[in-house]
Amino acid sequence: MGAVPFSIHARDVTVRYPNGVVALDGISLDIQAGEMVSVVGLSGSGKSSLIRTINGLVPISSGTLEVGGRHLESLRARELRALRGDIGMIFQGFNLATRASVLNNVLVGRLAHTPTWRTFLGVYRAEDRQIAYEALERVGILGKVWDRASTLSGGQQQRVAIARALSQQPRLVLADEPVASLDPPTAHGVMSDLRRINRDLGITVITNLHLVDLARQYGTRLIGLRAGQVVYDGAVADASDAVFENIYGRSIENRDVLGT
Amino acid sequence: MSVPSLFTLPPRPSRRGRVAVGIIVTLIVVAAFWSININWARLGSLPAEILRYLWLMFSAPDWRKLPEALLQTWRSVEMAWVGTVFGLIIALPLSLLSARGFAPAPVRWGLRVLFGVIRAVPEIIIAIVILSVTGLTPLTGALSLTVTSIGTLGKWGYESIEGVDPGPIEAVRAAGGSGIEVIRWGVWPSVTPEFISFWLYRFEINVRASAVLGLIGVGGIGDMLTSYTQYRLWPVVGVLLIVVVVVTMSIDAVSGAIRRRITEGATVRELDR
Amino acid sequence: MSALDLPPRPRGRWKPLVAIGVILVITAITLSPQVGISFSFDAIVRNWQNGASKIFALVQPDWSFFPRTIPPLLETLAMAVIATFVASLVSLPLSLWAARLTNPNRWTRGIVRTLLNIVRSIPDLLYASVLVAMVGVGALPGIVALLLFNIGIIVKMVSENIEANDAGPLEAGRAAGGTQFQINRVIATADALPAFVNQTLYVLELNVRASTVLGLVGAGGLGLLIDAVRTFYRYDQLSLIILEILVVVIVIDNASDAIRRRLV
Repeated sequence: MGAVPFSIHARDVTVRYPNGVVALDGISLDIQAGEMVSVVGLSGSGKSSLIRTINGLVPISSGTLEVGGRHLESLRARELRALRGDIGMIFQGFNLATRASVLNNVLVGRLAHTPTWRTFLGVYRAEDRQIAYEALERVGILGKVWDRASTLSGGQQQRVAIARALSQQPRLVLADEPVASLDPPTAHGVMSDLRRINRDLGITVITNLHLVDLARQYGTRLIGLRAGQVVYDGAVADASDAVFENIYGRSIENRDVLGT
Repeated sequence: MSVPSLFTLPPRPSRRGRVAVGIIVTLIVVAAFWSININWARLGSLPAEILRYLWLMFSAPDWRKLPEALLQTWRSVEMAWVGTVFGLIIALPLSLLSARGFAPAPVRWGLRVLFGVIRAVPEIIIAIVILSVTGLTPLTGALSLTVTSIGTLGKWGYESIEGVDPGPIEAVRAAGGSGIEVIRWGVWPSVTPEFISFWLYRFEINVRASAVLGLIGVGGIGDMLTSYTQYRLWPVVGVLLIVVVVVTMSIDAVSGAIRRRITEGATVRELDR
Repeated sequence: MSALDLPPRPRGRWKPLVAIGVILVITAITLSPQVGISFSFDAIVRNWQNGASKIFALVQPDWSFFPRTIPPLLETLAMAVIATFVASLVSLPLSLWAARLTNPNRWTRGIVRTLLNIVRSIPDLLYASVLVAMVGVGALPGIVALLLFNIGIIVKMVSENIEANDAGPLEAGRAAGGTQFQINRVIATADALPAFVNQTLYVLELNVRASTVLGLVGAGGLGLLIDAVRTFYRYDQLSLIILEILVVVIVIDNASDAIRRRLV
């Protein structure tokens, strides 16, 4: 994967939903190519909106957002799809087509690079299939390639979702609470998969988390959001408990920690 | 994470079963197309023909027939209503008797076979049988809808009764309740919303069916539609079709709204408990 | 019993009584001789003699009639199969078109839904009767009538199923840069497939039942024969036809149940 990973530059980005809720309130950020960033905050703090805004699932109300050198606020539908094709996304609920096979789910990651007629007939290029196999091998579940997604456990489903993102050959991976539905050992497995993607492939990775210890263990940089604003932006190493208490607006409790 | 150079793909599972189903379905469809006697050349001109007739029907509808159309629609709706009411009155005890635990097995299975037979025979054939006794009158329509309603309402009814939570039934039995009391206090409260919903739904079906029954001459909007189709008075046919669509859609809308209210009311009550 | 503090009775307890009252009044109107269905026992008694002999004929099927029923019966089945097949081809894309998750455009969605609501409110036999007048007697108007009726049902049920499905997988497809068409083809179709197969089988069952009577208005199949035997009051032959319909319907219902259990 020789492609250059994406950097992100946000200036005063505000996102207001049609129902009037302000999800992001004047966010300014610079994320360099190849960084591993953890975004923390309580639910409703805007971290999910931030990730969705970065790949254009949520439109920007004001401000400018540059992802991989392209200005999101001025992209046309086709250009936006091309950009999304370079950004892998991982969801809390895995978001697999549960009735489809693991392979077909991973091939969803090739949609942006596949002509419509091939999708229609369901005949993918051999190299696309090869990419999908390799992605599954990377997350260690190639053995399930022919199985129906619904027959897999939660951890396996999230690995398929990671393989789907990997098969996009992404330059940026966005993960929205990727381990919130998983048990602790599986959660650590998925988080280390994400860290290896960042370290071995050099891909920029942004992960939303609400658990303090995971953010400390797997990120190098920490961004804290509260009520749609950045309240902390710095190295994870410098983030003391006081920092987390400021982000959460309360003291750290047992439920903010995954444990092992 | 080193780039995997060589890995073995697990063997692809056999798709023989699916392929077999595919072949059988294809064979059946091909046989159907091959056996049917249709002038396929006509198919090409069919869309243009249908458009031409649609134009004849709806470009200048003949509204002078509207009053009679409405009267005949009322006849049809009457048949549907009477069929539904008679049907539910008869089906209610029958569905109890055919539910497990309320009657001896031979009665139960006899009734279930009866419901099955009724549901398998199209209502228009039932009407043909009944008209030999009652003649070509709206009563024939109402009675045949009664019979078909018994078939569906009876089946839905016993399925619903068998799905009732056994707890309340046991509670009434434990309190020394008789068979009737078990039904009144153990079964009836839990099945009422579903039953009312079934009745309304069956009424919607009967409204459509009553229009169809007109085709054999028992009166109503279907009867009128066949006559004017045979006279090829397309502007009138257009009006009749509009009346059928509007009346059916309105009845569906009202009945559907009531059904939704009843079933949602039931869930709210459920939550209260 | 003096100091019990009873909460106020909930209002609305009279509603069921009002509903029953309304139902009784409407039923009375529909049964009144002036505006309603005249319920005359006289006529039934008068007809009884004549009718009873026909009903009696029903329990004595004319087995010798059997060979003549086979070709129309096969035509009926062929009509049902063809209509189901074509309807299934047309309905899947229309279902995707009619569901909000797979077609975000409110206007095109509204158009499809409205058209299908209209199509669904006309019964199959009325279609057949009008179509026969348009294109002539035969299996073709019957198939077209079944087709219209089927598309209405399948699209309604399948599009409702799509709406009830999780939107997450579709969002994942969008996030991966897929077009709406690709997302619909790869993800929505996979998730809607069980509902689609289910509805198609259900429609096949309906079609077998419906196609037996379409011939009553000239649209081919067994119905043509039914019309003939009924004009000659050959209820012994009608009885045989009813038996055949019963057997075929029950066989098809069971076969489709078996397929459903396997596939879904």
